Amino acid sequence: MSAAHKVLVANRGEIAIRIINACRKLGLGFVAVHTREDMHSGHVRHARTHGGDGAVYRVSSYHDANELMAVADASGATAIHPGYGFFAEDFRFARRVVKRDRPLIWIGPSWGVIRELGDKINTKRLARRLGVPTVPGSDRPIYDEMEAEELAQSLFAFQADQGFERHLVLLKASAGGGGMGIEEVERMDTFRSTYRRLRNYAKRQFQDSGVLIEQRIFDFNHLEVQILGNRRGDAHVHFGTRNCTIQSTGRQKRVEVAPGFAPGELTYGFDAGKVLDDIVEYSLRIAKEVGYNSVGTWEWIVTPKGDPFLMEVNTRIQVENGISGAISKINDEGPVDLIKEQVRCALGEELGYSQDDVSFDGLSIEYRIIAEDPSNRFTPWVGRIDRFAWEEQPWLSVLTHVPTDEPYDIPTEFDPNLALAIVKGKDLAEVKARGVAFLDSLVLAGEDRAGQSLKSNVAFLREKTANILEF
Amino acid sequence: MINVKELLEELKASPYELIDIVAPHTGVVEFAVKEPGLKVTGAHGAYREKPGTLIATLERERNKKPIRATLTGVVECFEAGLAGRFVEAGTKLATIRHYLTSKEVVDLILKKALFLFPAPERAKYYFIPEIDKKMRASGKNAVEVRDGMELLIMSRMKRETSLPYKGPDGKIYAVYFKLGENVDSGHPLIGVCPGDQLPLVQDVVNRVRSEWEEHE
Repeated sequence: MSAAHKVLVANRGEIAIRIINACRKLGLGFVAVHTREDMHSGHVRHARTHGGDGAVYRVSSYHDANELMAVADASGATAIHPGYGFFAEDFRFARRVVKRDRPLIWIGPSWGVIRELGDKINTKRLARRLGVPTVPGSDRPIYDEMEAEELAQSLFAFQADQGFERHLVLLKASAGGGGMGIEEVERMDTFRSTYRRLRNYAKRQFQDSGVLIEQRIFDFNHLEVQILGNRRGDAHVHFGTRNCTIQSTGRQKRVEVAPGFAPGELTYGFDAGKVLDDIVEYSLRIAKEVGYNSVGTWEWIVTPKGDPFLMEVNTRIQVENGISGAISKINDEGPVDLIKEQVRCALGEELGYSQDDVSFDGLSIEYRIIAEDPSNRFTPWVGRIDRFAWEEQPWLSVLTHVPTDEPYDIPTEFDPNLALAIVKGKDLAEVKARGVAFLDSLVLAGEDRAGQSLKSNVAFLREKTANILEF
Repeated sequence: MINVKELLEELKASPYELIDIVAPHTGVVEFAVKEPGLKVTGAHGAYREKPGTLIATLERERNKKPIRATLTGVVECFEAGLAGRFVEAGTKLATIRHYLTSKEVVDLILKKALFLFPAPERAKYYFIPEIDKKMRASGKNAVEVRDGMELLIMSRMKRETSLPYKGPDGKIYAVYFKLGENVDSGHPLIGVCPGDQLPLVQDVVNRVRSEWEEHE
């Protein structure tokens, strides 16, 4: 791999910091971008500290493709890492990056793969063709109100036939993601108004009014499989599973745990080890079929009976990749930096190891520390962070763009995510105890314009720690 | 009660605004303006179909974006040292001295006369679909608001929440936000004219029309 490569970090916050760190580990140059609102963000300071003033460019928006290309050219970047969100799963952008006059290396799955798997409906069809179970419901976006109603009626009828206690249909904006644009309907007589509201929202937010109609399965666990493929897409390894069941009321993940279940330590009403093996095998089956050629996450729901259904594939590095890396070793060396592996492979290096060389050790929890009010439907809190500190530990890694040595105003343009805390332990009891110890040591204070104290989800995270991985 | 005469005198003493023209995005800048003092015009014509005076061009991805005067006035200064260089978004390119028009003076004074409904948070704002439809069809003055009515959608941090109107009943006289743009907390979203303020509003309009001298 040539050290002459320079990576444009087309993202913000903690993921930008992690990408910069991965570049530094590989001896690569980097250039970061920021908007006016983010000028005080930690990722800007981090880039400046390690790359100088020339490593930071101010842009009008993270979502302006022309801006990123112009900065890439002006800075001499040879590759683009999109992080997560923004352009990470935009196949048109990925295609443009590699097909322009001055092509750049796209650090992510190739655009054809993103196009194939980035579309939930395509993924569903592909999965069904390969014999992989998927969530029952529509396998294409519905634009017609009458058709949507017919489909919803059939799902309610199915739930009644199955004897489900609570009947619920899920409406998802086809072009949405990250928990945005999802609504629930409990009765047929409220379906039409909800459908119309979501359709209008989807049109406004995503410029596409297509809506997917699925059934909501209660008491499920949300699991993930972490996959890595080489650049050619002909060699794949997995880095285990994660459990992301602990979410806010708006379906945003708050606590993630790796691995997805702990069959050696907890009792489940089904063979949890087999479920984990099955979802890994199903995920790899799809990855091999499409020639998946970067990091990616296969998202699953698992019912109380232990039946897994594929939800979607996230063709990007995931926020919670750190916990998979924390419990993984390659040739007995760990933790694994999955972003570094992603960059390395994207720049043309071979994987250099097979599944047999990957081993797993212990458990890891990731806490998403967010300024929000869990008692009020996780309403975001906006204001100034005055104090942010924690006790450093060898088993702890805190990733944050929030400065710890000066006040920080949370920009309203983005989620009020403050930090990710990754805790490692040798077993469930230890990782839970360490998680609570970290949360107890956390100092987080600030106030909003009205003088109200900062609201955060720390108490919620602490409460949820008691029952992680139980099902 | 506002003192219209006093406000007008204040504005007459300093009848202009200095408007910064900034790079809307990154790119290599070339100036069309050669020296300060040039008279410039903003977009004009019956449908604003005639573009403003070209101040500079900003090239990125082999596309030259013209940066034009947004308002009529005189070029106060421009950053000649940036010519031919790559600039970041938000970089100041030039400053225009813009002489206030009578319409702008009316708007400035009315901001003190109307009831201003402020943005509770920095966010993007939209009218609810029914109100939006009515405004498009019949204009903003066709919308009567009353305390507690559903009026706006506040969008921030991936969430949309409805924002009911709080204030006196009246007609919407001014809308201060633009679609898709963030409004800072405390900034006005709409100006509402309560029924008892109508004579005052009319007085402001008449006085400004008769007393304000337009600059060429």
